[in-house]
Amino acid sequence: MIKSLYKAGLVGIAALSVFASCSEEQEFTNENRDAKRIEVQKISDEMAKVRDYVPLYACVAHRGSTYWAPEETESAWRWARNMGADYLESDLQATKDGVVLANHDENLKRTTNIEDVFSDEVPTTRKDFYRSFRNADGSQHFSEADIAEQYARDLKDFRSNYTLSYYYAELLMLDAGKWFNDDNKEMQRPSFAAKHNGKMIEVNGVPTIQYADGQYVSALQDQINYAMGNKLNRDAEGRRVLTYKIKDEYKDMTLAEIYKAAKPAVKNGDESVKGSKASKYMDFVEYSFGDKNGSTAYVKDEVDNGNRPGIYPEFKESWLNPKDIEIRVYNILDDWGWNIITKPAQANAPFYVNGKVNVGNTNGKVILQTFSFDALNRAYDVFKGQIPMCYLLWISKPAYATDIAYDTPTGYADFIKYAQDHGAHIIGPAISGAPNNYPEMNKPWQAYMIRKSGMLNHPYSFDSDAQMKKYMGYFVNFWGENPTEFDDLLNVTVQPTAFTSFKEASTHPIYMDGFFTNRSEISLHYMIENGFRCNAKLAHPFHPGQMYDNSQAPSVVPNADNVLNALGY
Amino acid sequence: MKKYILMPVLALCAMSAAAQDFDSKPTVTIDNEQEDLRFTVGARFMADAAYYNTDFTPMKSGASISDARIRTSLNYKDWYFYADFGFGGGKFSQKNIFLQYSKEDSRGGTHAIKGGYYSDPAGTMARNTSLGSYHFISRAGAANALGEGRELGVSYKYNNDKFMAYQGVFTENQYNKQEAGFNGVVVAGRYIYRPIATEDQTLAVGANVRYQHVGGGITEKNVLKKTIKLGQTMETFVDENEAFVSASLPWAENVVDAGAEVLYHNQKFFARGEYLYKHVTKKRDSKTLFDATNNSIDTWGTLSAWEAANPLRANNFHGGYIEAGYMIFGNPYRYDSQNGTLKGLTGRSLEVVARFNYTGLNDIEKGEYFSAGRNQYYPNGKMEDWPYNSTSVGGGAVRSYTLGLNYSFNKFAQVMLDYTYHNLSKDFLPNDKNFHQVQARMQFVF
Repeated sequence: MIKSLYKAGLVGIAALSVFASCSEEQEFTNENRDAKRIEVQKISDEMAKVRDYVPLYACVAHRGSTYWAPEETESAWRWARNMGADYLESDLQATKDGVVLANHDENLKRTTNIEDVFSDEVPTTRKDFYRSFRNADGSQHFSEADIAEQYARDLKDFRSNYTLSYYYAELLMLDAGKWFNDDNKEMQRPSFAAKHNGKMIEVNGVPTIQYADGQYVSALQDQINYAMGNKLNRDAEGRRVLTYKIKDEYKDMTLAEIYKAAKPAVKNGDESVKGSKASKYMDFVEYSFGDKNGSTAYVKDEVDNGNRPGIYPEFKESWLNPKDIEIRVYNILDDWGWNIITKPAQANAPFYVNGKVNVGNTNGKVILQTFSFDALNRAYDVFKGQIPMCYLLWISKPAYATDIAYDTPTGYADFIKYAQDHGAHIIGPAISGAPNNYPEMNKPWQAYMIRKSGMLNHPYSFDSDAQMKKYMGYFVNFWGENPTEFDDLLNVTVQPTAFTSFKEASTHPIYMDGFFTNRSEISLHYMIENGFRCNAKLAHPFHPGQMYDNSQAPSVVPNADNVLNALGY
Repeated sequence: MKKYILMPVLALCAMSAAAQDFDSKPTVTIDNEQEDLRFTVGARFMADAAYYNTDFTPMKSGASISDARIRTSLNYKDWYFYADFGFGGGKFSQKNIFLQYSKEDSRGGTHAIKGGYYSDPAGTMARNTSLGSYHFISRAGAANALGEGRELGVSYKYNNDKFMAYQGVFTENQYNKQEAGFNGVVVAGRYIYRPIATEDQTLAVGANVRYQHVGGGITEKNVLKKTIKLGQTMETFVDENEAFVSASLPWAENVVDAGAEVLYHNQKFFARGEYLYKHVTKKRDSKTLFDATNNSIDTWGTLSAWEAANPLRANNFHGGYIEAGYMIFGNPYRYDSQNGTLKGLTGRSLEVVARFNYTGLNDIEKGEYFSAGRNQYYPNGKMEDWPYNSTSVGGGAVRSYTLGLNYSFNKFAQVMLDYTYHNLSKDFLPNDKNFHQVQARMQFVF
């Protein structure tokens, strides 16, 4: 028995030794390695054509700016346009009467004085708003009983401070600039705040909404017009000129009938594409936004410097909007000649002309974006992937409804595939860094996977030169050292220009193809001074062997303060 | 001197193998004839080495002590007490401990009443077979994923040459340490018929059924949330990662297990197999959870809307395995009629074995879309913001093929060598398809 035990021991020890030696090179999960070996769906040739509508290294003015002016207002977007940003970015929601407007948060509390003006209740002016609609003979259009019943329904449907609970005319009573002055003492400008809040007044015995006279919650039409070089038409007292009336198709209906008849939007030119019946609009109000054929709501901006940026609107999460906002956006773009599906721009129109931004006159004039799966799905149904679309990435613990929950190469590849299959050409990952300190979702392996897919990478959002350096690869291999395992795909060769500090070609990896920035002045300086803008000989990362020419981009970045001064703020 | 022999503690650290009773008796015996008392003591030691080759997610190759135990028993007239203890990681762990009273009747049958902590009768034939006698390095994966282990309870077993009826009542947590709720109740039984039952040849067919009312859980938003977890390793002890085949089932209420088994052996050959089915019902205090969501503006509005967005349904899983072995040389295969299991190798012998196993922990609704980035199924075939809750469970399905060679030096010492190929289908791990592993074991049981 002892002999047998001895044999067993020898055999066992030998076996354990063999296998223990295997464990010296123990493998472990490594995102960098996995990112290189995992399969990533490649964008189709057809989608790649739409991707190429977008200028490389696009400077996207995040909400216009969150640093220099009240975000998503006339002041922020006019500033961004004149600074030379390529896109004016926004977040879209819809009002009770179906006006598409820009507001980032779930509600209007942070960026307006809505709590001061309306408290948490249905506006006390609501009944007067209904009374303000008049027949041709001056008589009240809706009966008191009808108004009372509708008011009861308004109470029932009300979600305080949510955009979808208010008529757009009511929101024009709010001041969308004062909060900025209150929160940013160093950046405040008295002109950002309204001198007077809006209120309900009587004109010749008729209840009439008198708008505020400062920065407004902006409609999508406003944003388009700022990009076109216009500004709001204001009266002598500084209030915007925007009238409203009952739409022709509702003029013979009571409020009760309008409520019942509320119908979702229908896509221009294709009645088979319409929103769901859940869209509970009181869509009977027509505002005088006008369209491409003319408008009294806007006037030529006398200090417009000729830049023509595009717009980059975001569809917010689906619970903030009725389910037809994508169609409404399609139709508004159509109305203003900004829908490249129905009105394509001239092929190969340049992104920059004679030192001016010209993106707004190209097929890249509109980029859509969203975090929302629902919005991505619906936008795909409406736009069919024919307009550049960015799918945004966010992560949190526990994972929010639209977050990527597993930020691994497998999870990333899955989201990239889903985004592509639903009409997205761009991935928008969050980046780290002060002051927002978002989660880092654009590590080199993640940038590599996006590039491998053939999609553009537009990280958000930049606030500093340090971030620009980090994601443009300044710290990695800039001096021909510290190579990374992703250089094979992410490396670009940058030729010197008249504006660069370096005088010989530099090759190094970059981790983005465009960027959302709150500091357009910092970002544009960086891109110009490091050869990514105003360069006729940029190696094209998506078309090896081809050159990308953005030499006509503005080479001078104006002083941000001076631009605001010139704009009258 | 014999009665004063104390066995050295061989196991300083041991990994806990899945539950089973030992089907061999501890070897060192101390008899006290005056008191009609017999005390036995034994030990078991298993050390494994494994090398894994995977498509994507790595497994940790290496070596480990799979099991180290001390086991004791005491016989007094018709009473039998058994206890064994593990020392995995230097920590004491409770293994089997029970007291049994048995009596033979006039027709040769045995009646036994057993109380304590031991393997659930319906926990599968595999898990009622000692790992030391198992003929493979690991039990079939399905038995680990869908079968049950030790439970605290009492049982009654009747056994004769042709029949075995073994049933009992148990509870799920032997220490009653669940965070909330009570420790559940289990009723289980295993029934075997042996049309052939000779010393050299046995054919046994059987069935088992088990009902469990899940009792313990955690309190979440003032609601008792009971969760059961199913899972298996990749039939190995060196890397016991269950991530490849596992499922977590929140709001579990009742579990019904049903299984069928067959076992045949002659002197040179054995074959055995089981089919396992598990049905898990769900229950939840929806009203309280719904009320808890009503503290924000984004309320669901009505309980029915909340329930529609948070559906519950029962889940079903199944699996099974077939094992076979051929004795190249050595003592013939033998059947353990008391436990209804095949005995291990005895004496110098060499055998070749093979196994096919299927474990199915996928219970997926047709047409649903799965996102690996969210580890989430979507009922309408596409990702959605809300409501998106699916009732699908994607725990993974694996087919495993094993070839093995076992050599026993004597009745105590044995070495084993297994090669296993797994083919995995798990939505969350789309790049993990093929697994190859070679394992070796050295074991000593007395």
